[in-house]
Amino acid sequence: MTEAIRAEAITAEAIFEAMGAVVTRWTMGSAAASAASFWNAELGDDPVEAELRLLALSGQFLGATVTTEPSSALRVLPDIPALALPTVPETLRPLVRRILAASKDAASRTETVHFLAARGWTTHPADWMPDANDDDAPDVYAAWRDWAAFTAAGATTRRQTGDQLTAENWEDFWPAARKAALIGLRRRDPSAARVLLEAKLGGENADARLRLLSLLSERLSGDDAAFLEELAASDRAPKIKALATSMLARLGHGPAAGEDVAELAGFFSVKMKGLLRRSHVIHIETPKTPAQWQRRKALLDGTDLMSFSGTLGLSPQDLIAAWDWNVDPAADAGLIKLILETGTDAQLEQAAGIVSQHDATGLIVALAPRLAPAERARFAAAGLRTHGIGFEMAQVIAGAAARLDDPLSAPAGAKLLAELQRDDAKPSDHVAELHALGLLASRTAAQQTLQRLTGAGLLQGDPRLDTLRLNAALDDDGENP
Amino acid sequence: MADLRDLGNKCTCPSRKFPCKHVLGLLWLNAESIVPFAPAETPAWVSDWLGRRRGTSAAKPAGAAAPAGEKDLRAARTAEPEAAEDPKDAARREAQAAKRNEETERAILDALDALEQWIGDQLRLGLSGFIDDATARCRRIAARLVDGKAAVLAGRIDELPARLLALAAGDRPRGAVVELGKLVLLARAFRAAPRDAEIRRAVASSETRETVLADPQAPHVNGHWEVLAEQVQTRRDGLVSQTTWLLNLGAAGPRFAMLLDFFPASAGRRGSVFTPGERFQAELVFYPSQQPLRALLVRRDAAEETLTHEWPAPDETLSHALTRPLLAEPWTIDVPLLLPQGRIARDDAGHAWWRSADGTDTLPITGSAAGLLAGTELTRTAAIWSGNRLTILAAQTPWGRIAGHD
Repeated sequence: MTEAIRAEAITAEAIFEAMGAVVTRWTMGSAAASAASFWNAELGDDPVEAELRLLALSGQFLGATVTTEPSSALRVLPDIPALALPTVPETLRPLVRRILAASKDAASRTETVHFLAARGWTTHPADWMPDANDDDAPDVYAAWRDWAAFTAAGATTRRQTGDQLTAENWEDFWPAARKAALIGLRRRDPSAARVLLEAKLGGENADARLRLLSLLSERLSGDDAAFLEELAASDRAPKIKALATSMLARLGHGPAAGEDVAELAGFFSVKMKGLLRRSHVIHIETPKTPAQWQRRKALLDGTDLMSFSGTLGLSPQDLIAAWDWNVDPAADAGLIKLILETGTDAQLEQAAGIVSQHDATGLIVALAPRLAPAERARFAAAGLRTHGIGFEMAQVIAGAAARLDDPLSAPAGAKLLAELQRDDAKPSDHVAELHALGLLASRTAAQQTLQRLTGAGLLQGDPRLDTLRLNAALDDDGENP
Repeated sequence: MADLRDLGNKCTCPSRKFPCKHVLGLLWLNAESIVPFAPAETPAWVSDWLGRRRGTSAAKPAGAAAPAGEKDLRAARTAEPEAAEDPKDAARREAQAAKRNEETERAILDALDALEQWIGDQLRLGLSGFIDDATARCRRIAARLVDGKAAVLAGRIDELPARLLALAAGDRPRGAVVELGKLVLLARAFRAAPRDAEIRRAVASSETRETVLADPQAPHVNGHWEVLAEQVQTRRDGLVSQTTWLLNLGAAGPRFAMLLDFFPASAGRRGSVFTPGERFQAELVFYPSQQPLRALLVRRDAAEETLTHEWPAPDETLSHALTRPLLAEPWTIDVPLLLPQGRIARDDAGHAWWRSADGTDTLPITGSAAGLLAGTELTRTAAIWSGNRLTILAAQTPWGRIAGHD
């Protein structure tokens, strides 16, 4: 028995060894039957027939016994880590997948992912995972971004991650986790975060420095001025200098007013109005030639809010209050840009408040990224009710999850309902509006909206209602804005 | 054929011109008396056709056939006695069918001779040349096989270059030997048993749905099934094949079932009846085979709660599962597998491999296996082994069921 097994093993080995010669001969185009002498009996005497029989036997032998072996040691990727938030319930995954698949671009997918995160959920990794460079992904996905970076880098050892980021364990964190930890630290202890950046920023490349430095805008204060001044003066990268200068300006440390600002002031004049309650009003001189328009834009781009208001003899707050909105859109946009880049948070809020009363929603959109979520939701609601903006615009103002109550009762809702009920309504109409409505509404509002829309004749399974349906079905465990 | 009474005509050609050029030719031959048209017995298919023609049949003179009187529903309900078939006609038809069968078989055998000759030529000319010029050479022999009524085999040879080119350059000679060797085995098997339905399915054509359903030999399996995946492929012959892979969650019967559907690519993308991951109770009938795999859906029951069913454990060792199908049907290309616990690993070049949890088995994988598939334990994996690459259909993981390659 043992001998039989050995004999068989030897035969298989012998066949295997002979196969090399057989395949080589065929590759070159010569007869191979003589190289497989152990099959003499099976192959027969006819040389043409013998080749075919050998081909059949060899094919079967190679197909059954030979499989490719890895040429090098295999590397197993680490497990995809669990995130701080739960994945969406199994029953809702098909809906999430459909919404993600229907999203035309990365930005719109990110919107959905932010909506989920704001409501306290994350996607299932089989449905969506961020790239390593996906800076727009919510912070909760930092561990997955680092997993992707780890995979792409071909690293073999896993770095340690912990909650506490210090100068000593800085290198132990992958970039996304480091960013998340730094944001956490900045919220808890702003100066400790700054000290850490002062120690470590020099070791990173320009892009990483830019990303890390932008984190300082969270709880920016006078304590950061010295560090920013140093960067503005001596950093190698112009982008970082510009960012540091812009942050300094937000702190009121603008560059000294020069000739440029004086020239800019020539485009504006301050007048008084009112008989009893006298107040300032800024009169905007209309530039006379295209060259002057260009010059004014260039000058506005090159200054900061503090210097600009100073040359007009006003404080930034007074300037914002005295501005004559909606007269010269180009000048409005220039001022908003100044406020956004160089204004303090308080000035930003003041500007947003005034702008929202002046029916200039486009300007709010520009200011929105620096506003607190609750403020954004408030402005979006105000825009919907008083200025009749559409849901898409409101959603851009409000951000990922505004939780508006009853958005459908706004003028945009009435208009949408009317258009959906028109005889010539097409099934592809208003996709974006309905999607935005789904992101804007609170859970209860989403449920009511669904009822009203299906009552108005939309089909239960209409894919345009996907976001609303997800919103209505999703438990709201997230932080309120 | 043409009916001289009213010049009605019919031809087997696909032309949409009536009369087509064949009928015109036939009428011309008759009109000019170029060839003699001797009266003879009407062949059965001509009688069939004449019988189906409306209004012109001499057997049904207008007015005489419709009995006078009011239309009566009861009369319509009473079953009319079927026209007794002329036993001579039946015998003749059978004989003709047998003759046609024989002709088909003859044609296939001739085509297979040509195929073997062609394979011999490839060996003589050298496989390196064959690998470089595979597409054109395979196209030619495939066309010959189509003419020889071996359509399925022709399709397989059409796809051969693609399978070969998917291999690493150094592995192609071996791949070519395996592919061509399988063709020799299939040709020999057909010669040995030309009436075997299974072999005929691999060479000429599959039985019709009706034949399989009526076949008492075809195994019926009633069980819980999970839709593993759906593969849609546009083939070189312009047809789109839609393959649905099902996993049998029960203990009895074949582990996998493959539902195969074809439609012309011009029909556009077709919506699917199945969603991957969906589970249902259904009765399937398998095409008779030593290892039943291709099946038809006979009855699908209303969905019930079957979510608790786990995937079954693989019921044989991996090496056995890889080679057993080759003993029964050595020409098989795709073998569905249920793999034990394992996970995806990468080699230095970035190629993906499936590796069993105990580290003893590694199989190369199609594509790069990115994302979750590569980043978690695969407790069970359903895949297709095509001799040199593994295509993962779906897997069970700590994250739940995930889909494999898309």
